[in-house]
Amino acid sequence: MTLSDLIDRHESGELLDEFAKREIRRATLAAVAIPGYQVPFGSREMPVARGWGSGGLQITLAVTHDDDTVKVIDQGDDDGVNAVNLRRLVTSSTGADETTTASEATVTQSRHRIPEDGLDESSILVLQVPVPEPLRGVERDMRELARMHAEADYSRMWVSLYEDKVRNGVITQTTGYPCLVNERYVVATTPIPRWDIPRLHDAPFLTLFGAGREKRIYAIPPYTIVEPLTFEDVPFEVEDSDGARCSLCGKSESFLVSLPNSTTWLCSDTDWCARQRGSR
Amino acid sequence: MGYVSARGGLDAIRAAESLVRTKRLVSESNWLEEDQILDKLRLLVDRVMSEAGLWDPRLASKAIRQSEGDATEAVHLLRAYRSTLPRFAYSEAIDADDATVMRRIVPAFQRVPGNQLLGRSVDYTARFLERTGDDDAREEAEKLRAAQTEESRDIEPASEEIAPRRLMELLREMDMLVDRRLEDDPEPFDITRTPARPPAPRSALLSSMARADTGALVNQWYRNILGPDGYLHEVTLGEVRHANMPLNVRHPVTGETVTIMQVRVSEVEAIEDLEGVEEDRSRFDVGYGLCFGHNERKAIAMANLDIACHRDAGRTQLEQSLLLTTDALDSAGFLEHLKLPHYVTFRSMIERKIAVRKARQRRDA
Repeated sequence: MTLSDLIDRHESGELLDEFAKREIRRATLAAVAIPGYQVPFGSREMPVARGWGSGGLQITLAVTHDDDTVKVIDQGDDDGVNAVNLRRLVTSSTGADETTTASEATVTQSRHRIPEDGLDESSILVLQVPVPEPLRGVERDMRELARMHAEADYSRMWVSLYEDKVRNGVITQTTGYPCLVNERYVVATTPIPRWDIPRLHDAPFLTLFGAGREKRIYAIPPYTIVEPLTFEDVPFEVEDSDGARCSLCGKSESFLVSLPNSTTWLCSDTDWCARQRGSR
Repeated sequence: MGYVSARGGLDAIRAAESLVRTKRLVSESNWLEEDQILDKLRLLVDRVMSEAGLWDPRLASKAIRQSEGDATEAVHLLRAYRSTLPRFAYSEAIDADDATVMRRIVPAFQRVPGNQLLGRSVDYTARFLERTGDDDAREEAEKLRAAQTEESRDIEPASEEIAPRRLMELLREMDMLVDRRLEDDPEPFDITRTPARPPAPRSALLSSMARADTGALVNQWYRNILGPDGYLHEVTLGEVRHANMPLNVRHPVTGETVTIMQVRVSEVEAIEDLEGVEEDRSRFDVGYGLCFGHNERKAIAMANLDIACHRDAGRTQLEQSLLLTTDALDSAGFLEHLKLPHYVTFRSMIERKIAVRKARQRRDA
């Protein structure tokens, strides 16, 4: 690529220069090669603030071409303000088509959710990660954290889960549940709800995790073993809605969010919900 | 339904953008010229360039205008713009002694080689709020302008000095300094391409601080003086400088070194009294601070924290704090992301609260 090519590309309204995209692709390939390992990368500043999906956005921009179709959700909702904002940045700078249906998307960028259905071997799921370090709750010193990951020394994580169970009767970890990937690295599963965790295991799709502020990329390649950390006699629990049904589609088999009064429930995946209503 | 109306969507975003843009551009006051920002808000321009890690006064002025004076927002605009540009070249190493000094203070001695040069500073100006009206101020400005042209233009050049000898050199001659000059000349760590994590080379620490949020560095300094972290002293300042430095690149064709511009920097050397048991009690050590623009507060904090971090030698998490918690965009962005919808995570939290209660009931039953 010549100097003038680079300048032309800039003038066409790209958010990242070509060198940056190549660097992100290299880091992403390294992440896929070592499932669950947090690969450092030279995270760039994006038009959205750090903490607002800048890591996910960088990955999406690096892997998306003009013949791709993208879906962007926040909390499962295609119409949330943050989803809308990121989608228009992605489509305007890559020329990709947009969709709300996961099965039509080649790249799905999401904050806090995995779509209820539709992701397959042709899908890439990009998750925005606020805190990529799963062990930060038990250790603050980064030098020690590096050692713990290198030696797969997750003993303090196990102790903290044990103490949690003993003190509270249940494991109180809410979202971003720590999982062992490919029987090697413990990862932070962004803050997706526990509801979504089982769908990471042996998934047909590639999941890429982008932490822009903390400058880390990690991955769960297709058909990888993903085990939530728990004990043989303490089954992993997803969120319990106590038999509640969505007020719009009437279904109970999706992740439901409640209104403050706790009597009205709605599907968090708005596209899934709309399709249930259409097929009813 | 309340839930649906709470969803913003594209229309709400566009309306918010239009409101900001219209209110900014359409108002009773005059259009704010770039030159005015460069001239009248020069210290804000300097601060923004320093925190952005980008020397370009014109672009910084545009960013300040667009951000309506929000320094961190202006830094964001500049850095996001920088992300769109490929990097063509690296500058050559600068010898700080090639600088032309506009201001230079050496608090450690009464008289020093070269001059104490107070320069353009409000250090000893009583902070009285000037309540003169615009017309009076304009009148005074005209008088001053006239006086300036009549009297002396040659005060300006005489008040600058090329490369006054550093106090550090003198202290070295007196054998007062621990010598930790390196034999080799390693390439500096590029914090924009490789995330710096402890343990990191000193160049990573220095460049992180040079780009850090001014307030964050001042706070790190003060919490070490008065707060819970006691890793540094009130050091004696050897040099406080505001200077013009030539920036050189190698010409891509001829290979010659070419000066492409001058950048203004604040530069500080901080002399530390060594009192640790394993330290050389008979000598001093020196911390270094340098940042874009005239921002002495930041450079002094940086020099203090540089020597503090060296002396700490990895015993505490001071290095981690400096490398990872002082960037304006990292901290502000993450703080503000709390405004994003969090109802999926919050739902999961409520579910666990109920689970804990049920577990208690089972236990107590």
